Amino acid sequence: MTVRGLWIISHENGGNLSIRFSRRFSTVEHRAKSLAGSSYVAVPEESTFLQLLLTELGLSDSVDVPPDPRPPLASLLSVSQGLTLLAGLQTFLLGSGSKPDSEGLGSRLAMVSSVLLQVCPLGTPLDVPLPGTPTAPTSVGTQKQPAWKTGLHRGRAVVNVGLIETVRSMQYGNRSRQDLWDVYGTVTCKCEVEGVLPNVTVTLSLPPNGSPLQDILVHPCVTSLDSSILTASSVDNYDGSAFSGPYKFPFSPPLEPFRLCSYTSEVPVPPILGSYQLKEEENQLRVSVTLKLHESIKNSFEFCNAHLPFFNRDQMGVVDMKVSSGQLDVSKEKNLLVWVLGQKFPKSREVTMEGKINFSGPTPGPSDPLCTKLTAYVKLHFKVPDMTLSGCYVDQHSVQVYSSAKPRIVTSRELQSKEYYIWNSTGTAPVSSGQMMM
Amino acid sequence: MAANWAERISAFSRRPSGFLSGTTAEAFLAELLRELRDDRATYSVKILLLSPLCEHPTLLCCSDSVGEETALELMSVFAQCPPKSVQFRCHLLLALTSVLICTSCVKSHSRASLDFLDVLLQIAQDTSDIHTDGSQRPLRAIACECLRELEACCPGLLSQRLELLGGLWQQETSRLHQAYAELYTLVLRNAIYQLTQETGAGAEHLKALLGGNTSAAWEADQESGLASSKDSAILSSLILGPMGTVPTLHTGPDCKELRSVLSTLLDESYLLTPLCQATLLHRLTEVVAMVPGVPPAIFRTHLLRLLGTSEVSLLHATLLLKCAFTDSLFSSEDEAFILKRLVVLSQHLLLSTPEKLFYMDCILHFPENRPISCGDGDETLPVLLTPQLASALVPTVFNDSATLLARFNMLSLVYLEEGEEGQGGQGLAYLYEHLSSLLSMVENGCGRELVVTFFRAAFLFLYYFCHVERYSNDLTKQLCQLYLNHTKLAPHFINLADQTQDRLSESSWSVGLLKALQRVITEAPLTQLTSHDLSRHLKMLARVAEEGEIIQQSTLTFLSSIITPSSSSLCTGGDWRLGNEILRVCRHLLVHPSLDSLLTPLADVLQLLVCHYADMEIQDHARLYYTLLTTLSREKLAGVLAQGMEEGGRQDKKQSLSCLIGEGLTSTLTIQQTERAVFRLIEAPPEPRAGDINSNEVQKGPEEASASMEAYRDQFSDSSFASEITLQYQLVHINSHDSHFDQLFSIRLHFSLTDHHYEELGDISVPCLLRERPSAIVQLTLKPRKPYPTSLHASAIFTSPDGHTWHTTLPDIHVAFQQTFLPLPVPSNWGRGGTLSVFEGLWDEICSESGDSAMSLFCCQLKEAALNTLVEKHFLPFLISDASHKEEFKVLFFLPPRSHILLKVSSEEDAVHFNIATDNWELLSHVNSYLLKITSL
Repeated sequence: MTVRGLWIISHENGGNLSIRFSRRFSTVEHRAKSLAGSSYVAVPEESTFLQLLLTELGLSDSVDVPPDPRPPLASLLSVSQGLTLLAGLQTFLLGSGSKPDSEGLGSRLAMVSSVLLQVCPLGTPLDVPLPGTPTAPTSVGTQKQPAWKTGLHRGRAVVNVGLIETVRSMQYGNRSRQDLWDVYGTVTCKCEVEGVLPNVTVTLSLPPNGSPLQDILVHPCVTSLDSSILTASSVDNYDGSAFSGPYKFPFSPPLEPFRLCSYTSEVPVPPILGSYQLKEEENQLRVSVTLKLHESIKNSFEFCNAHLPFFNRDQMGVVDMKVSSGQLDVSKEKNLLVWVLGQKFPKSREVTMEGKINFSGPTPGPSDPLCTKLTAYVKLHFKVPDMTLSGCYVDQHSVQVYSSAKPRIVTSRELQSKEYYIWNSTGTAPVSSGQMMM
Repeated sequence: MAANWAERISAFSRRPSGFLSGTTAEAFLAELLRELRDDRATYSVKILLLSPLCEHPTLLCCSDSVGEETALELMSVFAQCPPKSVQFRCHLLLALTSVLICTSCVKSHSRASLDFLDVLLQIAQDTSDIHTDGSQRPLRAIACECLRELEACCPGLLSQRLELLGGLWQQETSRLHQAYAELYTLVLRNAIYQLTQETGAGAEHLKALLGGNTSAAWEADQESGLASSKDSAILSSLILGPMGTVPTLHTGPDCKELRSVLSTLLDESYLLTPLCQATLLHRLTEVVAMVPGVPPAIFRTHLLRLLGTSEVSLLHATLLLKCAFTDSLFSSEDEAFILKRLVVLSQHLLLSTPEKLFYMDCILHFPENRPISCGDGDETLPVLLTPQLASALVPTVFNDSATLLARFNMLSLVYLEEGEEGQGGQGLAYLYEHLSSLLSMVENGCGRELVVTFFRAAFLFLYYFCHVERYSNDLTKQLCQLYLNHTKLAPHFINLADQTQDRLSESSWSVGLLKALQRVITEAPLTQLTSHDLSRHLKMLARVAEEGEIIQQSTLTFLSSIITPSSSSLCTGGDWRLGNEILRVCRHLLVHPSLDSLLTPLADVLQLLVCHYADMEIQDHARLYYTLLTTLSREKLAGVLAQGMEEGGRQDKKQSLSCLIGEGLTSTLTIQQTERAVFRLIEAPPEPRAGDINSNEVQKGPEEASASMEAYRDQFSDSSFASEITLQYQLVHINSHDSHFDQLFSIRLHFSLTDHHYEELGDISVPCLLRERPSAIVQLTLKPRKPYPTSLHASAIFTSPDGHTWHTTLPDIHVAFQQTFLPLPVPSNWGRGGTLSVFEGLWDEICSESGDSAMSLFCCQLKEAALNTLVEKHFLPFLISDASHKEEFKVLFFLPPRSHILLKVSSEEDAVHFNIATDNWELLSHVNSYLLKITSL
């Protein structure tokens, strides 16, 4: 349950590797040595570490069990704890966003040392770095304060519950290959409630005939779970008799926003059904796209865009396209068409795009190993406020807070797309399987 | 100064060994400690100064005593540091913990470590700040953590404080209760482990332990606690899978106290961070496993919460719980549920890739209630993992490499189990289709990562399904096509061939692939061949030529056509590198088993190179191969070339120039090292001494004693006089039957000294050493500076009958003290009288002088007969007095260059007295041990 050393390595675009931070835990090393005996391998010095990391690093990974015979990773609690610590440090250093800014990174790197003093002073991970410093007042009563709660809230009680459903899809427009789609939801909470260990219960409900929520994962602050909540699973055959709510999640909230739970759901149809056809005609490509919004979906988007990238071709020359609705942006440098559909589909709920593109530009466009020849896709990006595909919702009145002051309760929900692909039906679409996985 | 320290500390942590080579550990440590005491330095600098002590305590404190002193220093710094410098005090505690643990001071219960333990316990108990600002809370947290680490490194250290720690944990309401809980559970776990090691320990002891009752029951434990801390089992996790055994404590069903403690800990575990919860859960799992009196059902109420969690470490701790208690805690429905959960998590969108990979690993090491295999660490499929369930994890082209390969591996295992019929067959078809789509991506020219992923996936496929010929043959075909279009992938192909050959020794797929590659290479039209392609083709063909089963005619035809200027212009440039690549193929062909049938075409190819290749060196090299081919018998040729190839092996081929040129020659041109010693030098039996002093009694030396002394002394005006000792050795084979070394020639022995007491030795040549002949005699001439016993390192270079030159190391030669003795060097015509007068003269001088001279007496119990034998055996050559004169033997050892040891040996009533006089007192200790040795025999 221990870490022998920790290195933070930055890998810049040019391929430059450098160690930005290192810390080794001598007492853990001492334990590793006495446990391993003659098969002990010392942690290399920082100056040789990088090179060894790139070539071979044959350290025994264990301080919990003797290194011989080599134990499977699954038997070492250190492995999952190490993963958690590293993920926590990564979030601390880079934020939850994708690109780190070098300045912020530098200042946060300078703080790693004092962060480790709190979360891993002697090589045993105790916690992940907390977003804020624990400055808030703490308890003096008889009630024990949770170690994961950085302080106590004082002031007006507000509970904010946001439900976001994400839909993914792979549509092939091909009889031999089944279209795929799936939906997953996450419930995020921010609870400003007084007390050392206040009780809050959030309930998720489904409309009548709604298909049960599956694969539910909960935040560790959830105090108890009913076994029926966990029974439905996406890898099972749905037997129709499964529990379908309401789903109650009693918990005691931490101060900061957190993801209360997540689920997946099986919905009968994808929200937007598309077809994409390309035809190669001397020096030009004939393009035809149709998108149809399913009738059960609220026709009110925050945004809806379709991206059509073209790879492994010369740059676009003449683009002669017509759209039945919305507008078309052409980015010739990127060989990309962006069809901006706006907030609404027309009454017919169907839009089309037709036309020809000529790839006669002077330089080659972007390349991609997957999208060669007629293998191409349309990728949809959309967001629909105040709706979910599964029908799942959090009723404002179902949020219970056991505290003296009456809290203000805010709930919201939305549907968004991610990895929503419509493949050209005249080309070979990449293999996927009977289920949806990416 | 501060900036300077930052630089120095970072230089130290980058390369501690390098840094310390520029100074010494003591000096650096002293500097650090001085600066830590300096009031002018800021606390942020001081915190920096502590990091070398935290991270590399044993480098700075080379011994336990230095560690002890350093700890005392740091403790006094701690005592003087104002309480408000909390951060610095925290770091000081960490540094102290590191130093004391790593230098084993804690293990030996040193003064400083006991003091430190008291300091930590005081801090842990000091809750005086609770009603003020709580500013000392971080210090308390660190103190608890230090105590936990001390207990972790020295299990049982805090067993006696269990009750105190339990009280602290229960009283604390701030977030610190977590630190106390962690500390308490570890101490509890270690204390119970110790009880399990006690014979006869039971419920009473457990009760006493929890009640902090340090009565007589505990006295014995204290001792054994320390003893068992040597046993490393206590350091490691006790939950090791189905075959692991856990030591148990037999308490009967009555362990109310323990049960109540465990329940409280479990109920409050919710208040801990997930990481600490996981640790706590694991510790409690160990405790319950050790005490069968507590039913595992104690965990049951927490299971649902744990199984629903999104935290990887909590779910993992739950899996380890299952591993420990199997069906006594988990029903078969639970088991099915957990497995499904793992499958879901292995592909869950919201989890990170490392977490998903980890869950897949957990599936392959699933702790089943009733495992079929013995869980020896190999990957096995849980029985409940059906193809239908596993289908959620089929690899797709959208997976990242690691995920793709992990899924490919798992699904291969699933379909392998299913067999080729039905679902297994469909699954296999899917996997192959997937592999093909990866191949087409490689075909389309993707990045290196995808290429590597494809070849790894191909290896996995072959590893499991090589026997399914319709796929493996088709894969060969597709790979050949891929190679022709992408010759730059040649190293990957060679690697794939090597790996499949190594891992699938019973399959011939690898040879089949190489054969097919040979065909496509040799049959492709030459006109389209570029020099890059050619170079890669030659690499492939060299690998193909390593296979004895593959017919090589087409390779030779290909070689001949590319070298012939009329058919191809590729070699007209005379590129040296290309030439070497051609030669490399030829070299492999020279040792090919079907060489007889290749003789003419191979000779033609070599002849072509000699005549047409525009690089002199390649021509020479080809000429050498040609000569070898045409003049040597096959066996000899194989002998010359095969050795280097077998020894080099393809596993550890080095990219050196000599390897490019041809490994076979390297062994004949370079000196090779023998694996172990081949021969050694042993002391030769003494020759019978002719012309002993005794036989020359008639002749006389100078008349007077003083004249004798003078004449004797005069001889030393020549500095080389009597300055050497000559030792006789035999050079003999070491008795291992390596027939390769039965006959050795041109042996050149080289000696090197291990001290400064002798002059350097010259090399010695021995013409030959044959096992069946008598051993060679080697005379070793030593020239002492000081006549002390010594050891010599010896090595040798020699030639073996096959013409190879070898270097070997001989066992060390030990020169004993008595081997440096010479008889008194007087002119050969002196008789006993002369020597006797020199003896007496020297004796008198030594008695009267002080300086380097010394007198001593050695006594021992010896019967008269034994004394006579001893004199006969050891002293005869050095005897000055008449051997028949048995009342007193006078013996003189001369030790080059100038030392004398004089003995007067007489039997007194109580013992034999050896009166010793020497002009070099430093020899006395050696004389003493020599006399001890010979008289005790």
